[in-house]
Amino acid sequence: MKRSLTLTLLATLAMMTQTVFAKTLEVEVDGMTCAFCVDSLERKLTAMPSVAKVQVSLKANKVRLETDGDTPSVETIKQAILDAGFTPVKVTVISDEKNKE
Amino acid sequence: MKKTKNNVLAVLGLSSLLSAVAPVHGMGLRSFVALPVEKDGAVVRFEYEHSHDIDTDVLSANVAYGLNATQTLLLGLPYRLSPGGTDQQGDLSLLYRHILWQQDRQSGTSRLGLLGGAIIPTESDRDGAIQAGFVFTDFQDRNEFDVDALYQAGVEDRPASGRYDISWQYRLSPGDWPDWGIPTELNSVLELNGRWQENDGTVHQITAGLQWIHQKWVIEGGFVQDLNATKDWHYLLSTRFHF
Repeated sequence: MKRSLTLTLLATLAMMTQTVFAKTLEVEVDGMTCAFCVDSLERKLTAMPSVAKVQVSLKANKVRLETDGDTPSVETIKQAILDAGFTPVKVTVISDEKNKE
Repeated sequence: MKKTKNNVLAVLGLSSLLSAVAPVHGMGLRSFVALPVEKDGAVVRFEYEHSHDIDTDVLSANVAYGLNATQTLLLGLPYRLSPGGTDQQGDLSLLYRHILWQQDRQSGTSRLGLLGGAIIPTESDRDGAIQAGFVFTDFQDRNEFDVDALYQAGVEDRPASGRYDISWQYRLSPGDWPDWGIPTELNSVLELNGRWQENDGTVHQITAGLQWIHQKWVIEGGFVQDLNATKDWHYLLSTRFHF
């Protein structure tokens, strides 16, 4: 009983540790035009370290990034968007679990 | 008479083979466009084209590789499936594209690029060519317009040739983008194309087709109608993959 409680506590602590560094950013991107074109953008951003999830909105001209570790710098994110052939406009932090702590 | 007809067919078939180096990554069916291939990204395209009157089938393999967001290498190699015989292998087209100007907007993008390169003969009895041209793209909401022109100056005995493509693509579906996610698209394509060869004149063509665009691949097809006296028609099927 004591052992299972300890394991549960450790698992909870591990989950909390992961969410401490979670961050969600939205980047306004100009030049996004079609599905085949923005695939490159999604690939570039997904390939960055600590990026757990990338979502694209052609409707809002935005890309949403969820990170689960050390978030790449704004400059790194912008360079990845430029390498994909698009123009980054504005980076906004939507949620920052680290700062909440 | 039969020999003459065969010679004409052979010349037309070979011309078709040599000029069948299709664009790799553009969203037009037959046009070069300025859509980017990202840094270290690649697009592979396979295109099958059947010419009805001269009963010729050509398969083209094309690769585009992004050196960076503005510089792209394009390679194309056509192969005539039928009729068989000699000269089935076309010549290798090498093109370098540099995007000189780009203006991205919320609702689209405009780009102007320069093209330069060579046609490398794959048979010792054929000559190569130097090629140069430009490509312009304007994308606004559901419409994309592409204009390109390419001049190929023949070396030694190879005749000079050229091409132009004016392409309009309209997104039929979806009418509106979803809030998030990349949906599959269906585009209509309408093009005016021209193929010129020294001593043979120019053939203007009209192309109509459809594109089914997925995030990582494209399947497309269309009919091409020659507008000159012979009124030859072709159809083409193509697929592209993004790596």
